[in-house]
Amino acid sequence: MRSRDAILAALAPALRQAWLREPEPPRLVSIFGCTGEHGPSVHYLLDRGPAGYEEIVVEAAAELGSLTPLAPAAAWHEREVHDRFGTVFAGHPDPRALIGAGDDASAAGRFEFTPVAGEGITEVAVGPVHAGIIEPGHFRFSTMGDRVVFLELRHFYTHKGTEDLLAGMDAALATPLVESVSGDNCLAHAVAYCEAVEQIAGLEPPPRAQALRLAGLELERLVAHIGDFGALCGDVGFAPMPALAGRIKEDLLRASARFCGTRYWRGIAVPGGVTVDPAAALRQELVRAVAAAEREFASLAELALRTPSVEARFEGAGVLSLRAVRDWAAVGPVARASGAGLDLRSLRPTGAYRGRDVVPPVLAAGDVMARARIRVLEASASAQLILDALADWPDGPVRRDLPAALEGCGRGFVESPRGELLYWLLLRAGHIQRCHIRSPSFQNWPALPSAVIGGVIADFPMINKSFNLSYSGCDR
Amino acid sequence: MIGDLLFRTWRGPSRLLPLDALRGENAVGGRMPEITCPAISPALARRLADACPTAAMRCLGGTTTPDLGRPPVGRAVAELRSPATDARWRSGRPQVAANGTDESFFELDYALCVGCGRCAAAAPEAVTPARSLPICGVQRARLTRRWNLATGAECAPPAVPELPRLDRWLGRAVNIRQLDAGSCNGCEAEISALTNPYYDLERLGAHFVASPKHADLLLVTGPVTRNMEEAVRQTYAAVPAPKLVVAVGACGCSGGVFAASPEVTGPLDRIIPVDAYIPGCPPTPAMLVTGLAEILRRRRRAGRGDADS
Ligand code: SF4
Repeated sequence: MRSRDAILAALAPALRQAWLREPEPPRLVSIFGCTGEHGPSVHYLLDRGPAGYEEIVVEAAAELGSLTPLAPAAAWHEREVHDRFGTVFAGHPDPRALIGAGDDASAAGRFEFTPVAGEGITEVAVGPVHAGIIEPGHFRFSTMGDRVVFLELRHFYTHKGTEDLLAGMDAALATPLVESVSGDNCLAHAVAYCEAVEQIAGLEPPPRAQALRLAGLELERLVAHIGDFGALCGDVGFAPMPALAGRIKEDLLRASARFCGTRYWRGIAVPGGVTVDPAAALRQELVRAVAAAEREFASLAELALRTPSVEARFEGAGVLSLRAVRDWAAVGPVARASGAGLDLRSLRPTGAYRGRDVVPPVLAAGDVMARARIRVLEASASAQLILDALADWPDGPVRRDLPAALEGCGRGFVESPRGELLYWLLLRAGHIQRCHIRSPSFQNWPALPSAVIGGVIADFPMINKSFNLSYSGCDR
Repeated sequence: MIGDLLFRTWRGPSRLLPLDALRGENAVGGRMPEITCPAISPALARRLADACPTAAMRCLGGTTTPDLGRPPVGRAVAELRSPATDARWRSGRPQVAANGTDESFFELDYALCVGCGRCAAAAPEAVTPARSLPICGVQRARLTRRWNLATGAECAPPAVPELPRLDRWLGRAVNIRQLDAGSCNGCEAEISALTNPYYDLERLGAHFVASPKHADLLLVTGPVTRNMEEAVRQTYAAVPAPKLVVAVGACGCSGGVFAASPEVTGPLDRIIPVDAYIPGCPPTPAMLVTGLAEILRRRRRAGRGDADS
């Protein structure tokens, strides 16, 4: 173990200062490599609370000091930069490949798992092909009886090289690809991307487009939370809830199809605005659908959470401590259920969120019950936001032309249903030079084991569902 | 309390959509394009190919005409779209000319289409989002429609062998194993919806199972990533014969927007044999139900009160 001073001394000066400056260290948002015309560089994006985001650019050397011993959240980021750009992070406690560069890492069997040995320890390997209709990933449990004593994740089975595919693409044509980064949050990804392009262009979409984006983003959250809550109840054998939640969710998706022609709002957001302008009658219809869904879901959720068999499983299971949230810089409903009030809609509102005064619910318990309740509370708030936006619908166009041949660097931040989502974008002559995507799932996956270890292995599906992270969003 | 929940469910009206109604509107919300004009002129073809970001709409002609007996499936499309041979995907400009000679064709390849709606916006007089898409649960060659630009008329669909008839072995039940070969989870979201009260896939006798060893049919999404290729092969091998493989979504059918990535080794039909395809990005649950009904030849059994087929 090296001393804190030695670790700090190995960091680039700007980074070292960021860690020394404040009593509380900054929240790590992302670390990524970039090959611009000034040569390769490594970017550190930090959240300094009221002071806003800070981006520290370090010239990429063959070797850099690792930040991971000070900030565990840096672990996966540094491993990814190493896999993709070859930079060695000296002092990284776990320098294994993350994404699986080269054929030798294409199967979990050839990946070196952390050995856990001792009398009575059993290893349980799950995945990448799971039993349900879900994405692929591998979980390696070490158990003592029913207790999980260690859990290691092996992800990136769905790695599609999306960031590299984006490089070279015309900025105006890239939205179909960013919508396929995490399909159930496709509008959040599209809006984050569009906001980055619009920041570079130095213009905002018209108010009506912003209102439509807000309605869509909140509808996406509402649909996601209703579906998650139903599935979570299904995981503890409370069968009526997934059926009813599935029906309410489908009501909303069908309402979306009538409202804007697409169930999941694909192809709606484009740089400069949106592609649809639903008439007043369609907006009224959406108001009715959202209000009905909210009413029904709220009363059903209350019923479910007061059912003793559900309560008994949810309460006290899968506790994620606030300390773990800080260590892993976790985001979204997962962080808010553990006492960290991080919600970009209230902290750094953009677009139509400005002036909306979103008050995110925050719970302290950090267990499955808290994560279930957060979703119920947020679903009601989202429905209200949609109704407010539709009641106060701005006039005017829905799209603005962007100048051709955009140049420069921009960032788009969106509070997606899973939490803070970042698109970092560098454009040259209207084409993407580098696009870095930091999904909330990439940030939250490493925090999952600390909620699972110590519990019984049979609780894992439920705990995992209560996080409900995207594999594809993480793996890209 | 459970009684209270169940009472609400019973009291409510049935949401189940009969199969015939689903067929008539299976593409609503999926934005797959429908060509509404009787003939396609070279100028229109060029306009559409210009607007399409995925090369689902494309002009073929002159020196780049591929062997016309064989539609440019999978890898071939990726190569058309690779930086060296086709700059369209990267720059938005088509390279191949649509000059109206009889060697020029316009193609609409539903296997690549992601339903972005740009074609319908660029030429609303000729393209609208389809309400119904019958090309669903079909062989790969049938996903590509082709127009001869000399006449503007659509070419006759290619002759394809019949889909294998698994129902002779299965009777009326089929066990489905869903396999994600690296999707974005959009298809998973829609496949999960198949069990909700609107679509209720079990009416076709279809049931999702937890292991490939229990399955008759593999329902595969995603472009097949390098990291998933081995798992796809092993899962296919674990399904007992006779078996059907159905590729789902633009990624499953062609690699979709990920086809050109070096991290992708698919599309699926390069890795394992595929019997039928359901396009869409993602396919709507109604497209999945009607596609599966087509593959399983369940024409009736539409809903409560309908006679069995
Ligand atoms: S909807 Fe989009 S992807 Fe599909 S054919 Fe039209 S332009 Fe191409």
